[in-house]
Amino acid sequence: MSDQHIIEGCIRHNRKAQQALWKQHSGFLLGICLRYATDRMEAEDMLQEAFLKIFFNIGEYSGTGSFRGWLRKVTVNTAITYYHKNLRHKHHVDIDEFVTIETGSEGFEEDFCTAEDLYRVLGELSPGYRMVFNLYTVEGYKHHEIAEMLKIDVNTSKSQYSRARAILRKKLEKLAELKKRYI
Amino acid sequence: MIIDERDNALEDLFRNKLEEPEVIPGDDLTRHFMRRLERKEFLRFNPSRFNVFYFTALAAAGATVAGMLLFSPPKNTLHQPEAYDSVTLSEMTIIPETMTGDKPADLSGSVGPDRKGAGPIIISNEPAPGREVVTERQTVISTTSHDTAEEAVLISKNEIASTATGLLRAAIETSTVAGCVPLSVNFRSIASGSFMTVWSFGDGGSSDEQEINYIYDIPGTYNVVLTVFDDKGHKAVSSSRIEVWPRPRASFEIHQPDGYLTENSIRFVNLSTGATQYLWDFGDGVSSGAFEATHRYEAYGRFDVMLVAFSEYGCADSVIVTDAFTDAGLYIRFPNALMPNTAGPTGGYYTARSDRANQVFHPVASGVTSYNLKIFSKQGVLVFESNDLNLGWDGYYKGQLCSPGVYIWKVRGSYRNGEPIVMSGDVTLLNY
Repeated sequence: MSDQHIIEGCIRHNRKAQQALWKQHSGFLLGICLRYATDRMEAEDMLQEAFLKIFFNIGEYSGTGSFRGWLRKVTVNTAITYYHKNLRHKHHVDIDEFVTIETGSEGFEEDFCTAEDLYRVLGELSPGYRMVFNLYTVEGYKHHEIAEMLKIDVNTSKSQYSRARAILRKKLEKLAELKKRYI
Repeated sequence: MIIDERDNALEDLFRNKLEEPEVIPGDDLTRHFMRRLERKEFLRFNPSRFNVFYFTALAAAGATVAGMLLFSPPKNTLHQPEAYDSVTLSEMTIIPETMTGDKPADLSGSVGPDRKGAGPIIISNEPAPGREVVTERQTVISTTSHDTAEEAVLISKNEIASTATGLLRAAIETSTVAGCVPLSVNFRSIASGSFMTVWSFGDGGSSDEQEINYIYDIPGTYNVVLTVFDDKGHKAVSSSRIEVWPRPRASFEIHQPDGYLTENSIRFVNLSTGATQYLWDFGDGVSSGAFEATHRYEAYGRFDVMLVAFSEYGCADSVIVTDAFTDAGLYIRFPNALMPNTAGPTGGYYTARSDRANQVFHPVASGVTSYNLKIFSKQGVLVFESNDLNLGWDGYYKGQLCSPGVYIWKVRGSYRNGEPIVMSGDVTLLNY
């Protein structure tokens, strides 16, 4: 089934079409959810929420622009809603954000950083850092857009981003070093 | 201070690897979601499908028909609900299984964190203090399918390409897939034609051994990934899921009313956490499986009370209170020498202050409620008897100072908790 058929079927709430949509796109969307989640379970929760939204609001997809892009947008929005719902981390300005942050500039050897590793280090970040980092780096939003979406200050977004980046770099370098020693 | 430089290397890394990742959800998740969707759809108004509105209408119609039939012959009323039931049931059958047949690439389902199928859990009663050891005696061999593409939970597209070209295969053999923390797992790489092995244990640990014993000491679900390489640079990946269950913490308090042990029921207050099942052993051969227990002892004794707490996964923890009812405040002790006042009998009444010269033979005691002391000479003559703890022997018998030497004493009585006192010993009367 092509995307077009699937979309039409889903608008009619046709079960076959819904299953086909899940089958074709759940992998892609779970990959996104994993980036925003602490662990796989949380990601799977998010994925289900996202798909319910997709199935019940598929009529809103205008037909212009890529369908995958629309799916991604719905999923990212679900992740943001999820973040707000579980927001017990309002106190996000740490003291060490005002400490100089060393930023390395060396490249990474990609072999030592698998997608799985990246998911893991992302999962270890605090939810606020993770949101900002994902939205900025992977989704490509600007800081002022992120600030609006997450209802935070622009400067908070910027500082969380650079802090998250420093933490990630440190973790990945450590991981790579470990792997090098074993290989 | 905000630094807004860019870290291009890091950003590129994340963008390249995670922008279009494919992580295929497991069959369990798919089934679960489809059921959830079905429920949601059922609640939605949709004229072309059986849903809650039809169901309500049908139920109302059924009720009406049933109500009407109450006034007609009884055999019809019996028949009607049956027909109605069968209609609703067949219409409501949900759970579409059609999707599961041709699902690609997920190992998590086949290796199975299915704890119900994970075999019997044996609790060995090792005397480790305060802790039960739970061992799972089972060997589960993970997927033996030789299609590497099917074995990876998480494969990015370029990895699929490289595994498909080679004949390299990887599979993981684990000694167990689930157990209580700390969980020791033996991993073995079953790889054909590999020359390099890399393990990632899912908790940050890694190794390059063929066979390795790894201990997880934090509860959680870990995705173990085995990557093997051959000398041509081909690569195969296999993964397995290890579930490490948390251990409960057993804890309890004893609420013992004052008075004799045997006269009151004693309440045991359960303070355990993370447990769903409990086993009490009161130390007198009686046990209980209740959450909280009260118990009454038949006789005085030294009892070790034990509580074992089991979690829903069968992990256990235990706590033992030894000698639970021995009161440290209960004692009676006697000296072994006496130096009587030679000037005449003192009468035997004493206080701790008045008898600094050790002129009276008396015990140091606490918590004694009844008391009888008898002192005999070597000839067997009862030279002194007292039922009063405050009355000791001053070394005189019928007004005469006894001769120096060894005398035998015997005491009977009981403590306030009902524990009997039966003691005997000797005391030397000193010749100043």
